[in-house]
Order: sequence, then C-alpha cells, then structure tokens
Amino acid sequence: MTTTLAGGRAARRQTMRRIRPRRSPAVPLLLAVWAGAAAVLWLWWQNTPSIADTTGRILGAGRITGLLAGYLMALVVLQMARVPALERRVGSDRVARWHAMSGRYTLCLVLAHVFLTMWGYALQAGKSLGDIVRQTVDSVEQLPDMGKAAIGTGLFVVIGLTSIGPVRRRLPYDAWYHVHLLTYAAVFLTFWHQISTGNEFAVQPAAKTFWYGLYGAVTALVLWYRILTPIRLNLRHRMRVEAVIEETPGIVSVLIGGRRLHRMGAEAGQFFRWRFLAPGMRFSSHPYSLSAAPRPDTLRITVKAIGDHSARLRELTPGTRVWAEGPYGALTAQRRSRGKVLLVAGGVGITPMRALFETLPGAAGDITLLYRANTTQDLALWDELAAIAEERGARLMYAVNSPEGERPDISAENLRRKIPDIESHDVFMCGPPGFAQSVFEALREAGVPARRIHHESFEM
Amino acid sequence: MRKSHPVRRVVLATAATVSGVVLLLSLKPASDPAAAGAAPRQPAAGQEAPQGGTQGGVQAGSGAVTGDAAQTQYGAVQVRLTVSAGKITEAEAVQAPKGGLSGQKTELAVPRLNQQAVAAQSADIDVVSGATYTSEGYKKSLQSALDKMQKESSSGSSGAAQARTVTGEAVQTQYGPVQVRITVGAGKITKAEAVQAPTGGLSGQKTQLAVPRLNQAAVAAGTADIDAVSGATYTSSGYRQSLQSALDRAGG
Repeated sequence: MTTTLAGGRAARRQTMRRIRPRRSPAVPLLLAVWAGAAAVLWLWWQNTPSIADTTGRILGAGRITGLLAGYLMALVVLQMARVPALERRVGSDRVARWHAMSGRYTLCLVLAHVFLTMWGYALQAGKSLGDIVRQTVDSVEQLPDMGKAAIGTGLFVVIGLTSIGPVRRRLPYDAWYHVHLLTYAAVFLTFWHQISTGNEFAVQPAAKTFWYGLYGAVTALVLWYRILTPIRLNLRHRMRVEAVIEETPGIVSVLIGGRRLHRMGAEAGQFFRWRFLAPGMRFSSHPYSLSAAPRPDTLRITVKAIGDHSARLRELTPGTRVWAEGPYGALTAQRRSRGKVLLVAGGVGITPMRALFETLPGAAGDITLLYRANTTQDLALWDELAAIAEERGARLMYAVNSPEGERPDISAENLRRKIPDIESHDVFMCGPPGFAQSVFEALREAGVPARRIHHESFEM
Repeated sequence: MRKSHPVRRVVLATAATVSGVVLLLSLKPASDPAAAGAAPRQPAAGQEAPQGGTQGGVQAGSGAVTGDAAQTQYGAVQVRLTVSAGKITEAEAVQAPKGGLSGQKTELAVPRLNQQAVAAQSADIDVVSGATYTSEGYKKSLQSALDKMQKESSSGSSGAAQARTVTGEAVQTQYGPVQVRITVGAGKITKAEAVQAPTGGLSGQKTQLAVPRLNQAAVAAGTADIDAVSGATYTSSGYRQSLQSALDRAGG
C-alpha cells in the first residue's frame, strides 16, 4: 500500500513537471485594442483645433464614429483570420463571440457615421435635417470614392440583417455563410473613401501610413492563414475518408486517413473545419472535434446528425477527398494547472473529452470523466471510454435520465459527494450551452474557481 | 462562463459610446487655445472661432495672416494672406482638399480664387464653377483672415503695430528660477508678467510681494533698468536679467 502511494506521488510529481499552464492572451490583446482606439481618438483630437457650432459638433461626432468604425472594421476581419494565437490560445469560440459582438457594434457605428456626417453636410450647405436624403445622394455622386462606400455600406446592412438571431436561424447555414463572405468586398469598397475624404488622413501623412499599415496587415493575415496555410496543409497531408462507423443511432464516426498526420500539430481537444469534397457538401466547411488522439495515419471525428450537413456525413463513401483547416481550439492540455482533472461531457460534447481522457497525462485516479446523455443508448463511444478507464485507472461516471425521463441532478452537493476534492480539480467541459451553464454554476458552488473551468461553446 | 445579458450589454455599449463622443466634443474649445493663449482677444460675434493665428511677427500692417480653416465636404480649406501696408499682396491656400476628384477641383479653383482675392481685396469674389464647395470654404476662410487683419491693425497702442509676446530666458536664483514674459506693442512693453518665480514658504511670500511691483516697473520703464524691490534682491535681479533677455529677443 505504502509503495503504491509513494509511486502514485512520484508519478504525480512527474505529471506536474510536464504541466505548464499557459495563460490566455485575452487581456493583453484587449488592452492593445483599447490602446489602438485611444490612438484613433487622439488622431481626431489632434486634427480638430476647435468646434464652433452645432454643425461642427455633428460633423465631429460623424468623424469620431467613422474613425472608430474604420478601426474596428479591420479588427472584426482580423478576428476571423484564423490567426493561431487567437484560435488556439484565446479559443475559437470566444473569438467568434467577440467577432459577433464587435461586428454588431461596428455596424451601428457605420450607420451613425453616415447619418451624422450627412446631417452635418446638410446643415453646412444651409439645408435642414429633412434634406438629408438629397444631401446623401449629392455626396455619393460628387465626392471621391463615395459610390463605392455607398455600395459597401449597403452590403454591411444586408450582412447585418442576415445575422440577426431569428433571421439567421431561418436561413440555411450555407446561405448565411456566403452572404457573410461579402464582408471582404464591403470592407474593400468602404476603405477608399476613408483615405480620400477623411480629413485626418488628408492632413496627416503619418495617419494615412498607419491606416494603410493596419488594413495591409489584416489583409496579409487573412491571405496567409485563411488561404495559403490551408492550401499548404492539404497539399502536404492529402486526406481522404477511410471509413464511416455508426456509433449509436444518430452518431457517426468518420475515420480520415492521410500522410504524416502527426505533423499537423493537432492536440487532443482541438478541432478542424472539415469540407468533404462530395456532391452537395463541398461548398461549406464545418467544425468537428477530433474524438481520438491524432495518430500518424488516422484522424477521427464523431458527429451527431443534427443539421443537413452532419446528417449527410453518414452517406460519405470511403475515398472521398477531405479538405481540412486547423487545428483550432484552446481546450487542450495546455489549459491545465492542476494534477487532477475532471472532464465533463454533455451528449456529443464527448468528442474532445474522449480525446483528452485518453491523452491527458496523469497517474491512476487523477482523471475523472463525467458523461451526461439522455439514455444509456446515447452514450456514444462508451466501450472505448471504459477500456481507457480500465487501462489508465481513471474514473468514468455517467448520468442519464431516469426511465421516467427525469433529468439527473448534477448539483454542487452531488458533485462533491462523488468527487470530495473537487475544488482542487481542473475542469474541462464541452456540451450544449444550457447544460454547460448549469454545470458551470454547480461547479462554482462546489468551490471550483472560474479560472479553472475550461469550456468551449459554439452558441452565440 | 458568465451569464450573458444582451440587453444590458446593448444599453451599456450605447451609453458608453454616446457619452464618450459627447464628452470628446464638449472638451473641444470653441476657439483655438493656441491662438487664444498667444494673443488674447475676443472672438467676434457670429464669426467662426479663430484658429491658426498669426504667423510670425507682423509689423505695421504687413506680414502674413492665416484665416480659420473652413470645413467643406471635401476637406478643410485655409487661406493665408500676405499683407503689406494694409493691402493683400498675395493669397494662397495652405490647406485644400487633396486627392482624386477633389484634388483636381482644388488645382482648378484655388489659383483663380487666389487671383481674385488679391484683385478684390475682399472676400467678395466669384465662385469657381464646378468647385462650389471649395470656393465657399475658401471665401469663408478668406473672410476670417480679413477680419483678423483688421483686428490686428486696430489693436496695439499706436493703432498700427501688432502686439506680440516674448518670453525671456529663465534665470536661476538662489530660491529658484525666474522667467519673464512681456507683451510688446509698437515698440513698447504693454504688459509684463513672471511665468516662473520662486514658490513656497518665505521665498513664495517674497515673490508675491516683489513680482507685481517689478511688472509695473517694467511697463513704466520700457527697459530692464528697474529698481530692485527691497527685501527681494535675488528675485529682483533674476527678474531684471530675464526681462533684459526678453527685450533682446523682442528687439532682435
């Protein structure tokens, strides 16, 4: 007994030596964003010696909103450039939420900018607010690059409308996605009027250089990480579907073969965006987590048939070419700060947890997996999980509805009873948003600090 | 995983943005602080705030006067006039819309507007067709330059000279540095003040005692040949030295 204990301790010490928790760079990034915004405001401040009257104030507000919109626009695009630092360190889900939030905000700034500037011009020309439409038409006709800007703004409005919750839910994913791609065109079209009519850029060459630099850098990152990097990845690894396996009713695993797949640098817990070059599927890509640790010749994803796309996966034939982008996601062993780990999976959220369950370093008893599903039949991959638990000496628990359909009670009390030292665990969690929310609250109540609860959620 | 409150977030973002913009706008003065600080004068009623100010010293109704920048749809227009003996000898646009179509319009319109301004000696000039906004902006800035020109020629004690401020060197004394700024009009000191003087404790009291008298004496004498205030010898002598250096600069 003593020897086992000592051996366990030594093993744990070994494990801890390998654990180097990496902090998410979110805070420094946000600080940089604020600093940039302050610099943009300073640019306006520098260039505006005084404001004499209401017209001046309205035009001033128009300029401020315009400058901020121009600045944020670049960042909104940057957030979707799939920069590894954002995707793998901050987390794709978080960045996507930032993108949605800042996108909405930027669109509002754009509209405020248009309204205020045209109103100001109307007043300047001795007209009133009522002539704003006439004034807008005049300005679009007469000012340089304003025609382009008007088209771009129109596109922004369309993109914004299709992204409003209820509209988006009613649209097929592909339609929404392709409308969203128009953002690039809209940003391009609206860029030029900023340079040619923007007071700040006409007067200060340094400001103009900064603006070109900002947009140039974003363009370069988008080209590099969204286009060149995936092309290189896929030319190098040449992936194809090897087999499709039905795990439980409605959940399928797809095995994907390719060359030297271990060189992709994928970690357990991460995902790729997959595009299957089969009829009807080649025009959109979808994020699916790896459901097993990557092997040199095989990757595996496990998918629940919810949407059109995931339902079609079942009909994939072996040999189908696969185009993948990734790896993305920050829910990896790097987040770990403690020796003990609790993995919580809800439904098909088991996929990244399954990969982590297999690969997280740890001694016997360090790793616990809690698997929540509706019924025992829905516990996909259960046999594998049981085998891993057996081999590693890890704990495996499940929670399913009672035969009467009653939900299991995942409360702080129950969690504490099952895992007495729960507060000293790192928790990794993946599941539907409602489930994740309630487990999060239970964990907090049980004494787990929020910074040690790592989760990924793709609902916006 | 904090609970998200979409409505609260929208309200917060809107409130923060609106108040931020309003704050920025309200912090901007109605007139240019740089111009106002150098030569305090009241802005004329109904006139746009002065900005830019005068460029360099103007002597007896000659020199350069820069008008306010007038904002137009295409960008700012700002006119500078070279004045000699009360007449406009040259007009030029120091700021005008650049780039693309508006740049072309500037190239077309500005030379004609310059010519007209010199010929008319007033802001009553014709609009160049095809460049209405630029022309209007030009006329506005020109008018403000003319206004400034008039005000400058009527200000100052002799009626023709331009008042200006000159700051002397900071002179170190035992108690701290002393630095004098004078306003000179028509070759006379119209105002003297200490921008730096010892503060705090006894030396602060001495400053309070001596500086007003020294200021008075400087204006009265018109030179640095003023009496030391008894009990504040060091400060007085520093004051005199700094005043002399200001006078040297004003004369040179």
